[in-house]
Amino acid sequence: MAGGTATAASPRRSLGQDRRQEALAGYGLIAIPMILFLVFQIGSIFFAIYISLWKWGPLGPTGLNPFRGLRNYETILGDPIFWKAVTNTLYYTVIWVPLTMALGLFLAVIVNQKIRGQTFFRAAFYFPAIASSAAITTLFIFIMGPDGLFNGLRQAAGLNPLFQLLGFGPTYNWLGESRTAMNSIIILNAWTTSGTFMLFYLASLQSISHEVYEAAAIDGASAWQTFWKVTFPLLRPGHYFVATVAVIGGLQLFDQAIFAGGQGGEPNNSLTTIVLFLFRSAISDFNFGYAAAVGIILLVVIMAATLIQRRLFGQAPSW
Amino acid sequence: MRNRLALPLVALLVLAACTANNTTTGGSSAAAFDPSSVSGTVVFSGWQASKDEGVALQAALDGFKAKYPKITVNYQPIATDYATAMAAKFSAHQPPDLFYVDSSVAPDWISQGLLYPLDDWASSRNFDTSQFFPGYLDAFKGQDGKIYGFPKDGNALGMAYNKDMLTAAGITAPPTTWDELVADAPKLTSGSQKAFCLSSTLDRELAFIYQNGGALLSADKKSAAIDSAASKQAITWYLDLFKNGWGDTPKNLGDDWCGTSLGKKKVAIIFEGGWLDPFMKSTYPGVNYAWAPLPKGKQAGNLGFTVSYSIGKDSANKDAAWVLLTYLTGPEGMKLWTQGGVANPSRKDVPAPAGKEVLVAGAADAHPWSFIPGFSKINDAFNNAMTAALEAKSDDPTKIVNDTKTAIDQALNS
Repeated sequence: MAGGTATAASPRRSLGQDRRQEALAGYGLIAIPMILFLVFQIGSIFFAIYISLWKWGPLGPTGLNPFRGLRNYETILGDPIFWKAVTNTLYYTVIWVPLTMALGLFLAVIVNQKIRGQTFFRAAFYFPAIASSAAITTLFIFIMGPDGLFNGLRQAAGLNPLFQLLGFGPTYNWLGESRTAMNSIIILNAWTTSGTFMLFYLASLQSISHEVYEAAAIDGASAWQTFWKVTFPLLRPGHYFVATVAVIGGLQLFDQAIFAGGQGGEPNNSLTTIVLFLFRSAISDFNFGYAAAVGIILLVVIMAATLIQRRLFGQAPSW
Repeated sequence: MRNRLALPLVALLVLAACTANNTTTGGSSAAAFDPSSVSGTVVFSGWQASKDEGVALQAALDGFKAKYPKITVNYQPIATDYATAMAAKFSAHQPPDLFYVDSSVAPDWISQGLLYPLDDWASSRNFDTSQFFPGYLDAFKGQDGKIYGFPKDGNALGMAYNKDMLTAAGITAPPTTWDELVADAPKLTSGSQKAFCLSSTLDRELAFIYQNGGALLSADKKSAAIDSAASKQAITWYLDLFKNGWGDTPKNLGDDWCGTSLGKKKVAIIFEGGWLDPFMKSTYPGVNYAWAPLPKGKQAGNLGFTVSYSIGKDSANKDAAWVLLTYLTGPEGMKLWTQGGVANPSRKDVPAPAGKEVLVAGAADAHPWSFIPGFSKINDAFNNAMTAALEAKSDDPTKIVNDTKTAIDQALNS
C-alpha cells in the first residue's frame, strides 16, 4: 500500500511534471521556427516602420537631413501615381476575387463527382497554380499580341465582326492598350489561381455530410436547387477562407504586372499596382525608406480588408 | 649615448616606413603610381546582354591578363535583375571591386554615396580623361562635380533606313532635316507599310526635343525645362508623326521593339543605336539597311546612352580595380572591346569600328542620358502620358508636359 499511496500521490506530481516536460518539448521544437518568424517576419515589419521615417538608401540614412518623420507618407499620399496604383489594385481585387472564387467552386463541384479520371482532372486543373508565373505571363503576352494566337483564332473562327462591334479591331493589342490590359491580366490570373481555390473548396465540400444531400433528395430537390440552397450556404466557412486568402493575394499583385507592363506599369499606368510602385521606389531609385512607407500603407490596407471580411462573413472556418 | 640616439633613429625609421607604406598602397600622391606593381584579385561584375558581348569582353580581359599578369580578374556577371542584386551587395558593404553602372541610374547611385570618386587618382596617376566624349563622361559626374565612373562604351542614336524601300519610293538620299523627313513620310507609307516605327518613350523623343532647342531640365539641373515652348513644339511634332498615320509604336505593330519592325520589313525608318547591328545580323540578315545621322532640327542633338565601370566606396581592392578600369577604358582595352562591333567606343582616340562611323559621329552632339536622382519616376511619367496621348490620337503636349513637370518637381524636392 506504500505503492498505493505512492501511486495516489505521484500521478498528480508526475502529471504536472509531465505537462511541464511536454510543454518544454513543445517550446523547444517550435523555438527555431518561432525565432525565425519573429526576427524575419515580425522584426522586418518593425524595421520597415522604422526606416519609413527616414530617407534610407542601401548604406543607411542618406542625404543632409535624413530624418523625415511622416513626410514620406505625406509624399506618397499626395502622389497621383500612388492613387492610380491603389485604384488599379482595388479594381483588380474586386473583379478577380469573385471571378476566381466562382471558377474555383465550379471546378470543385465538378471534380467532386465520381467520374472517370477524377484524379487526373484534379491535377490538371491545379497545374497552372504551380507553374512558373514568369513563364505563363510571357506566353500570355505572345498569345495576346496583335499578331498573336488569340487574334488569329478569332479571325479563323469568324468572330471578328462581333469583336468589331465591341470596338476591338482585328489586330487589337490586348495587353498594350490601357483599357484592356488590366482585364487581360485578371482573366489570366483567374485561370491560374482557379486550381488553388478548387482545392480549398474541395476540402470544404467533402466536409459536408451525405445525410444533408439524402434529405434534400428525399424532399425532391433538383440538382440546381440542391447546390444553391443546400451546398452553397453550407460552404460558408470555405467562402470565408477562400475570400480572405484571395483578397490578401489580390492586393499584392506584382509578378504579372511587371512582366506584362514593365517597371513603368505601361500602358499608361494601367498595370501599376501598389507592390509595383513599391518595387520601383526601392530598386530604381534606391529609396528604401519611401518603399517601406508604401509597404506599411499596404499592410494597413490588407489588415483592414481582412478585419472587414471577418465582420461580414462572421466566423472562422470550422476545420 | 646609445639611448640618446635611439629615439631619433626610431623616429626616422618610423617615418621611412610610413612613406614606404604610402607608396605601395598608392594612397599618397608623393610617389608615382606604378600599375605593374599592383597585385591581387579584382572581383569584376556587370551584366551580359548577349553571347557576343561575352566573347568581346573576354578578348579585352585576355589583353589585360597579358599586360598585368600580377592581377587576377574574377569575372562574376549578374544574370538576375542587376539593380536588385547590387542593392543587396551595397547594403552588405561588399560590392564588387569594379562593376557596371547604367547612366540613367548613376545620379541615384552617386547621391547615395555608393561609388568612389575618381578625380584624384585620374590626376595623380596620370589617366587622361580628355579623350572621352563629354556626352558620355558627364553622365557620371556627381552633383559635387566629381567623376564617379568612366564610360566603357557609348551609343548615340542614328537613323536606320531600309534602302530598298526608299529607292522604291523614289527617294534618292535619306532625309537630313525635319522638313525632309516629313516630306518623305507619306511617300513611304502605303498599304500596311508605315514610314516609321517610333518608340513612344522619352529615350527617343528627348533627342528631338534637344534638336528643337528644348530640354528636360535646366542647364543647372535645378528646375524643369520640359514646359518650355521649344520642348512643347518638339513633342507636338513627334506626336503628329503618329497622328498623320506615318508612324506607329512597336507594340501596335505587333513587335517588341522597332528593330523587329525593321527586320520584318513593316517600316522604312527607325531611330535606334548601335545595338541594332548585332541583332539584325543574327536575326534578319536579309534586310538591306544603312545608317544615316538623325535628321536635324533647329540644331543637331542626340542622346548618349552609356554604362560606366565604377569602383564602389566599400570595394576591397580599389588599386587593382583602378588598373583594370584604366586598361578597359583606355585606348588599348577599349579597342579590343569595340573592334568586333558589339559596342562603340566612348573615346575619340579609338577608331570607330567598320560601318559605325555615323553612330560614333553622333556622339559629338550627344547629351548624356543621365539627369537627377529619382529619374525613373520622371521617365515613367513622361512615357505613360505619351501613351495616353497616342491612345487618344492627339498631338496635344499639355498633359505630357504637366505630368513630367510634376514628377521633376517632386524629384527635385525630395
